[in-house]
Order: sequence, then C-alpha cells, then structure tokens
Amino acid sequence: MKRDSAFKERPAGIVDVAPETWRRRSRRDFLVFGASAFGVLAVGSSWHHQGWLANMALRFDDDVAEALYSPNRLVPTYTKSQITLLKNNYNGATPGPGYISAWRLTLDGLSSGLGVSLDIHTLLTRHQVHDQITRFVCVEGWSAIAWWAGVKFDDLLNAYPPVSEAKWARLESSINLDGYGRPDPYFVSIDLPTARHPQTLLATHLNGQPLAVGHGAPLRLLAPVKLGLKNIKAITRITYMRDEPKDYWAERGYSRYDGI
Amino acid sequence: MAPHFTQGHKEPMATFTPAAPPPCVSVVRRHHVLVRVSHWLIIPLLLGLIVSGISIYWASPIYRHNPDPQTGSADYFADAGIWICAHLPEGHDCASRRDWIYNHTSLGPSMLAPALRLHWCCAYLFMLNGLMYLAGLLLSGEWRALLPRVSDAVGAAKMAAYYAGTAFAILQRQPRKAPRQSTKYNPLQRLAYFSVSIACLLAVLTGWAIHKPIQVSWLAAIFGGFDSARVWHFWLMWIFVLFVIPHVILVFADGWDTLRGMLTGWSRRVESAGRANET
Repeated sequence: MKRDSAFKERPAGIVDVAPETWRRRSRRDFLVFGASAFGVLAVGSSWHHQGWLANMALRFDDDVAEALYSPNRLVPTYTKSQITLLKNNYNGATPGPGYISAWRLTLDGLSSGLGVSLDIHTLLTRHQVHDQITRFVCVEGWSAIAWWAGVKFDDLLNAYPPVSEAKWARLESSINLDGYGRPDPYFVSIDLPTARHPQTLLATHLNGQPLAVGHGAPLRLLAPVKLGLKNIKAITRITYMRDEPKDYWAERGYSRYDGI
Repeated sequence: MAPHFTQGHKEPMATFTPAAPPPCVSVVRRHHVLVRVSHWLIIPLLLGLIVSGISIYWASPIYRHNPDPQTGSADYFADAGIWICAHLPEGHDCASRRDWIYNHTSLGPSMLAPALRLHWCCAYLFMLNGLMYLAGLLLSGEWRALLPRVSDAVGAAKMAAYYAGTAFAILQRQPRKAPRQSTKYNPLQRLAYFSVSIACLLAVLTGWAIHKPIQVSWLAAIFGGFDSARVWHFWLMWIFVLFVIPHVILVFADGWDTLRGMLTGWSRRVESAGRANET
C-alpha cells in the first residue's frame, strides 16, 4: 500500500488569490519569459553566427572523446563472414599506381636525431604482421567491416623511438590528389596514445590482398578508434613532435581528435 | 495535447460572509519553473538538431535504391525533391532539384562540417535541458502525473476518438462534452508526454551509440550495432515531428489557459485538482 502511494498522483493545492495579484503575477511572468526568449534567441544567434558556440561544442566534444579513450579498451572484432564492401572514398582523384615502385616511408623526430627511410619490404620483414577484422566508420555516417593486416604502429614506435618530449605524430601523404588530379598533400594528427593502441596498424593488406591503390597502397594507417578520415592512405612521412600538428580535415571545419 | 474542450474554469469562490465577498481567483500550480524553461528551450534545440541532422543524413543517406537511369538519383529524399519541383508552379527556383528537400529542411547539401558542429552543440544542450526537465519533475513531484496507468489503454483510445470526433463536431457546430477527468492530464496526454520523454532518452542513447561506436560499443550493440543505431536515430526524429503537430494544434484548440500554464506555471482549471487541505 505504501509502495503504491509513492507513485500515485497527488492533488495539486488550490490557492485563492486576489484578482489584482493574479493579473500582476501573470503579467510579470509573461514579461520575464518574453524577455528571456528574446535574450536566448539574440545571444544564441549571434554566438552561432560567429561560430563561437558551435566551435566551443566541437572542442568540448573532442575533450569528451579523449576522456572516453582507454588504451586498454579493445575495438570489437568480427568474423570473416561479417566482412562488408569497403569503398574507395579518396576525396580527390585516385592516383595512378606509378608511385608505388619508388615509394619509401620517411621517419622524422626520432630520439636518435636521424631520419630513417624504409621500403615496404624492410618494414614487413623486420616486424611481425598482425591481422584484424574491425569496423571502419566514416564521418559521413557509413561504416564497413574489413579484414586488415599490417604491422603495429606500436612496434614501429619501439623500433624507432620518437624524441622523448613527443606527444604527437604527423602522418603525411605526398601522393594525395585533389579533385582535378593535382597534388594535394594529405596530413593528419595522431596522438601517441592512439598510435600505441594495440589495434592501430600500419596496414599493408585488405581482405587478404595487398592494398589496392584506391585503399592506400602500399601502406596506410588503420586506427579503428578514429573516424575514417584519420586513416590516411599511402603514408610517405611520419614526424613525431611535441605540439599538436595540423590536420587536413580540422582545417576544413571538422574536429581534430575524431575519436569514436 | 490538452484536456477540456468545453469545460470552463471555475468562477471566483464565494464566501459565506454576509458582507460583499472579496473577489477571489482560484488557481492551481501546473508546471515547475524548470519544466517550463526546458519545455521552451527544447524548441530551438530540436530545430537545430533536425536541420543539422538532415544535412548529416545527406552525406550518407540510409534509404537508397539503384540509381534511376533518368535522374541519376539513388536517394529517396532526392526523388522527393525531383517530384516536388516537377509539381511546383512556374517561377519557383528549382535549380538543384535533387537537393530541394535538403535545401528546404536543413543547412543544405555539402554542409557536413558545420552541420556536425551545430549538431554537437545542440546535442549537449539538449542533454542538459533534459536533466533540467527531470530536476523540475522531481522537485515538484509532477513526475507522478506523467506516469501511464493500466487503465490508460482504454482511456487513451477514448480520448483519441473524442479528439477525432471533435473535428467533425466543430464542422457541424454541435457542442461536445469532453470525457470526465479527475487527473492533471488525460490518458492520451500521459501516454504522449511519457512516450516523447522516452523518445528523447532513446535519441540521446542512439546518438551516443553512433557518435562513439567503439568506446561505447555495448551501447551500439543494444540497438543492433552502429548501422542500425543510425536508423533508430533517424526515425526518432520523425517521432518528434509527429508529436509536435497534434501537440501544437491541440494546445491552441484547448485554449488560453493551457498555453498560459506553460508560461506562468499556474492554471485556473481547478476541477481536476484537489484542495490542498482535502485528503
């Protein structure tokens, strides 16, 4: 009985007020609400017009994403029967395969103070190759489940340690083209905790085949904890640095951290 | 949605003193101030979420078919735009027929980055607003009036039939009496307000499921995975749209007291409220 009454609707108290008081209070409340509505609209639209409010929300959302990240939380993996088609979503033109034979990966910002230049054969023979079937999520809203293979970014970081104060990696592709087929270098910022995640790969294979040109042959980033736009194709240079590097899509109004 | 179509409010209470009675207005507390503030703030927030949400949808439409050989369109919203432009009178601007729907209901096509910024901005404020609404309900105890009851299944159907019949009654100029009501809301209102609150909660949960499908992958899994959580999120928008239309019509049909109640917090309809000193 007592339990029932806790959920039972209570009678609202009826109050008798003088008509004058009632009119005065109603008028006051209307004015307060009207002024507030006007204020909210004026402030909201002017802030929005300057992009201030939305930009603050974008930064706040990046902080939330970074707080949600845990180096120990693994990305869900799938079986081969769950693999779906992954489309080539190169923003510009897909480059021709001519670059692959001369392709090399350059590493900068290393603790040794030297620059390192690797070819794909060296990279694959010196490091263990790992497989994983994970979901790839695009900022546009679509997703695909794909089977990737490659070396762990973490293994590369251990083999060629960055300078001690480094917190960021700048990954760059000089191969990238714009919509008219002109060179349009692509670059992303990756925080080192993400680079060290056990499922962050420098991928060389997709669905059991060496990467096609459309998917970033011969080496692309596969960081399943990030949106697809961070997963840069045809990486040509990795630079470790202390300060946050620029990011291709962040310069075009998207968020910088892109953790999912 | 609101009650009382034909019931008037109570006249000022008479007292039993032989001298001229002091005129008095009987009023009853209707909505807590936090409930009222969150009720009005949700309007611009939902509007911002919908116009940005449709721009986000444009970037990767869920409902697609094989490209139409004539129009090249593979998106049903684009088809609808083409259809509308074909039926608009001369003189209307139909430069981009495939984008007509997006141009008229959203920030527009190719606006993904600004749309995402606006969507996050409104989404965080939407969640804060929801907490404010809950706080108002809890502080005032008004949450009890919103809980659906077992008998509401029949009661809600009766109210729906009454509202549907009222449209005809107005056309035939016949007076109509509302079903008797002894609670703050009628059964259909309870069902609608309760469901739309649950829809808000689901919109937030599916939103997080598609925003952070890796870090909160368990949440995406509840809705059947990332792709199907997107479908949920899309249809929840339609629930809000479908709620708002009868909600606004019925508030205006129901009269001034209902609208004033959401502004000032007080109502002069005291029939369905008990006297404070009565038990």
